[in-house]
Amino acid sequence: MKNLKEDYFNPFFSHIYIEKAVREHARTQKILAKFPSAEIIEIDHYKDIFCRSRQSFRFQHRTQKLILAARQGTLLYEGAPVCQSFGSQYFYYASCAMNCIYDCAYCYLKGMYPSAHIVVFVNLEDIFAEVERVLEHHPLYLCVSYDTDLLAMEQIIGYVQEWSDFAAKHDNLKIEIRTKCANKTYVRNVNPVSTVIYAFTLSPQAVIDAYEHYTPSLAERLSCAAELIQAGCPVRLCFDPMIYMPDWKQHYETMLDQVFHIIPMEKIVDVSVGTFRISQDYLKNMRKQDSESAVIWFPFHKEGGYCHYPAELLEQMECFLSERLEEKISKEKIFRWNV
Amino acid sequence: MIYIFTALYSEAQIFIRHFNLIKNQESTWFQQFYNETAGVRLAVTGVGEIAAAAVVGSVCSVYKPTQNDLLLNIGICAHTTKNDGIFLCNKIMEKATERTFYPDMLYRHNFSEGTIITGMQPYASDKDAAQTTANISVEMLYDMEAAAVWQAGIHFFGPHQMIFLKIVSDRGCVEEVSKERTALLLEKYKDGIFDYIRQISSITQKMECRKSCLCQENERLIESFCVDLHCSKTMKDFMKQYIQYLTLAEMDYVSVIQDMYDKKLLPCKDKREGKLRFEEFKRRLF
Repeated sequence: MKNLKEDYFNPFFSHIYIEKAVREHARTQKILAKFPSAEIIEIDHYKDIFCRSRQSFRFQHRTQKLILAARQGTLLYEGAPVCQSFGSQYFYYASCAMNCIYDCAYCYLKGMYPSAHIVVFVNLEDIFAEVERVLEHHPLYLCVSYDTDLLAMEQIIGYVQEWSDFAAKHDNLKIEIRTKCANKTYVRNVNPVSTVIYAFTLSPQAVIDAYEHYTPSLAERLSCAAELIQAGCPVRLCFDPMIYMPDWKQHYETMLDQVFHIIPMEKIVDVSVGTFRISQDYLKNMRKQDSESAVIWFPFHKEGGYCHYPAELLEQMECFLSERLEEKISKEKIFRWNV
Repeated sequence: MIYIFTALYSEAQIFIRHFNLIKNQESTWFQQFYNETAGVRLAVTGVGEIAAAAVVGSVCSVYKPTQNDLLLNIGICAHTTKNDGIFLCNKIMEKATERTFYPDMLYRHNFSEGTIITGMQPYASDKDAAQTTANISVEMLYDMEAAAVWQAGIHFFGPHQMIFLKIVSDRGCVEEVSKERTALLLEKYKDGIFDYIRQISSITQKMECRKSCLCQENERLIESFCVDLHCSKTMKDFMKQYIQYLTLAEMDYVSVIQDMYDKKLLPCKDKREGKLRFEEFKRRLF
């Protein structure tokens, strides 16, 4: 597929599907203005497109379409057991977009969703209202960029800015923006908010080249993280998921050298360390779609509905990274998911 | 393989000529043509939703399309405002049920795009126009098969594998449409149609080639290795997974296996020894 001429496929977001109910929504209009030549197709419900049977992630990822919809029903979810809570008691996540412009071969979204097209929920005000309702009862640690990479889509939807502004008005709300992006435009204009944590997922360049398609390089991500730190923003580094590949130790060693060289580690909020793990059902779906990506065909161990590397390898990988990190930051700031 | 479905023989003619299709003499219920070398199979469904669904279901049940195949529904249609043009359908509505279907719009093309309504009867501008415009936008295509082809086809193809190309023949005057005019309309747009088919075929062919090479290489090795290890069915499945991973990760497992043969560790004398050797094989690689 990689050898195929790009122009066999339509450009990204060549088609925008819009729920009739949000056709006139201000955010819809704002997004549409950025795609004046897109083909607009009205739909009744986003699931009419997103939940069709027999869709191909591989084909769709070559030319993702945008679906603009209204989020209904549950607006906040409790954090999943495989996700890091960073010691927070009230750990939730919000899904204001589904799917990602990046194409990481190991991404759980490929097993979770039936489509690779991107859904953006334009009724962000409803999610804000729900957060405010919950905040009346207890504080909240909220991940807003789990089922997508919001910062990577910032130029199109501007949601990171909106979340940041919202968090600035609520003392007991802490939000995490998880990203692999290196959006310098955003970084240079950022308004630091102490409760908005920018969490960069970092991988060795060899992993990025092999499995994290269309994502910025390690150097670009680090440079972006360093600029955010310099601007006064809280930054978290996520070495999660760690991906096994032959010579993994050497690749991760090289990566850490690069990290320590660019990032002032004493200014980091914390780091997370975790090897790749995934729900058994998601992995099954991913393997159905992709028979060529080594990362998902590893002979994993199955335990309690989840697949992970064999215990010995997992321990070896996580310990190696944690120990190296401990040379630069205190142990309390290192979160391992399975400890 | 591309599965082409047309309602009329006059819509099929350009494909029969272009791909040198030969008639399948065993198909007596509906006309069917094929050329295995060109990778094309064509069926003339007859007019209407039921005929179309029946033929699509029948052809696909027999030939069992794979993930690398494509379905092309092509034919004439009416348009609410235009007398001419070729359209790639991005939305298909079934008039009787008001259900809507959306083919994936993945590939570049030079056609216009539009929504098509599939009805049980030909579009008649005098009686259908008011009803159509009241419900939906004015620019609309109208045929008698697309929604049925989708609904039957979705059992065998994904939404990225189904393509609906429609050529406008009239604005709701079915009397204007003759066999000769239909054939001429298809002839008029044939270059664009064949270019498009060539383009999308090359994408799927590349996918197919890469996958089959990988599988054959794996299968041969797994077979001989498993025999010499005295693998049980479970162990063989496990081995398959290992080899699949090692091949994809481009890890040199072949020399590890060869080395085991050189050191007379293989073939094993029984299942117990086989298990030990399998563990050793894993240890050497990870």
